[in-house]
Amino acid sequence: MNNANNCCPIFSARLETASVLVQKAADAVRQKRIRKRNLIWLELTGCSGNIISLLDGANPDFKCLATQLVNFIYDNSLMAAEGDSAMEKLFGVTGSDYILAVEGAVSIKDKGLYNIIGRWNGQPITAYEAIKRFGEQASYVIAVGTCASDGGISAARPNPAECVGIQGLLGKKVIKLPGCPCHPDWFMGVLAYLMLFGEPELDSRQRPLMFYGTLIHDICPRRPCFDQGIFASKLGEKTCMFKLGCRGPVTRVDCPIRKWNDRVNWPIGDDGPCIGCAMFGFPDKMEPFISYNLT
Amino acid sequence: MNDHEIFINMINDNLNEMGDTIDCLYTTSNSCVKNKLLNRLRKNMSNIAALAQGLQNGAGANSPQAGAGRMFTPEELSRYNGRNGNPAYVAVNGIIYDVTNNAAWGGATHFGLTAGTDVTNQFASCHAGQPVLSKLKVVGKMPR
Repeated sequence: MNNANNCCPIFSARLETASVLVQKAADAVRQKRIRKRNLIWLELTGCSGNIISLLDGANPDFKCLATQLVNFIYDNSLMAAEGDSAMEKLFGVTGSDYILAVEGAVSIKDKGLYNIIGRWNGQPITAYEAIKRFGEQASYVIAVGTCASDGGISAARPNPAECVGIQGLLGKKVIKLPGCPCHPDWFMGVLAYLMLFGEPELDSRQRPLMFYGTLIHDICPRRPCFDQGIFASKLGEKTCMFKLGCRGPVTRVDCPIRKWNDRVNWPIGDDGPCIGCAMFGFPDKMEPFISYNLT
Repeated sequence: MNDHEIFINMINDNLNEMGDTIDCLYTTSNSCVKNKLLNRLRKNMSNIAALAQGLQNGAGANSPQAGAGRMFTPEELSRYNGRNGNPAYVAVNGIIYDVTNNAAWGGATHFGLTAGTDVTNQFASCHAGQPVLSKLKVVGKMPR
């Protein structure tokens, strides 16, 4: 971020969105104005990158989420329980109120046989069955990351397991938080908003406008280079990477503002083009990720 | 009302909306509302930039008659793939547009489509009713 952007109100206000919401929700829980919600996190056909990303959250952080906002009932990567006792916790939410977060796409080939997430009463539970069972009963369903939102890398050509995003399998609205991975602020901000006010304002692709309302290109610190036609011809140059195939102009999300890894940097800040990981169609429709010899 | 007047009216509408939004910004202290209002301002700015670009290209310059003197065959069009010194052209409904410096065509590709091709069907399925083509320079025609 350059100095000019530091002074821009859209940057400073946006940067606070998640922390303000989470703090308000935590205060409301503490004052018993709202109740803690049950949270189920299903890892389906994906790489578990989103739960790892969530652990990397900073102001708000994961500890705040797990201790002050929600009863984190199930996530197979984080919970101490395993095997039957873990599945008991998952199936124990049946009939109660809970919010469902899902990462990873769903393999539907052969009735979902290619992704078994556990066993219940001796029977294998497929990701396909899990999303149907727990998705339909949830108060809200949040697709965390690009695979759960639109299929993503799991559904990339040739997609041998026939993976799809979760919306097509559910008869209710899914709030989509695409990104590979999803930024912890996006998830925690939306979760806090749901607890405080209900469903946030979404765009036509069911993404919350508070995080997905702006093109990267419109808030990119290298935008002045684009406007003046100063383009990088190879990686490592500090100018606009449009001629290398940057996808910032078609990708709606606020990476330039909040950045990654405790707000240290982001792809363009490290001289690599945006590859459009938060857009539908990623990765197939965002390829090639790098191009040379462009006019 | 000609194209020029329509563009000017749309720019004025956006400016009026921005005025209202700025008034609202002065009255709210809620950061979530502020974010929404700032988003709206950003959208207005994008609209005005697009409209200004359309005006710069010249009202009517993108009509089928203007700048469309050259006829292309599909083989000729395929050479304009945006590489090695060639500009990037695409065909929509028989008209050839220059997308060489269009931001959405980074790497001379756009959501899996490549320059030098007829993208009529894909355009209709994604951008029908949107003022996308008005921003582009017309460079010729291609019989369908």
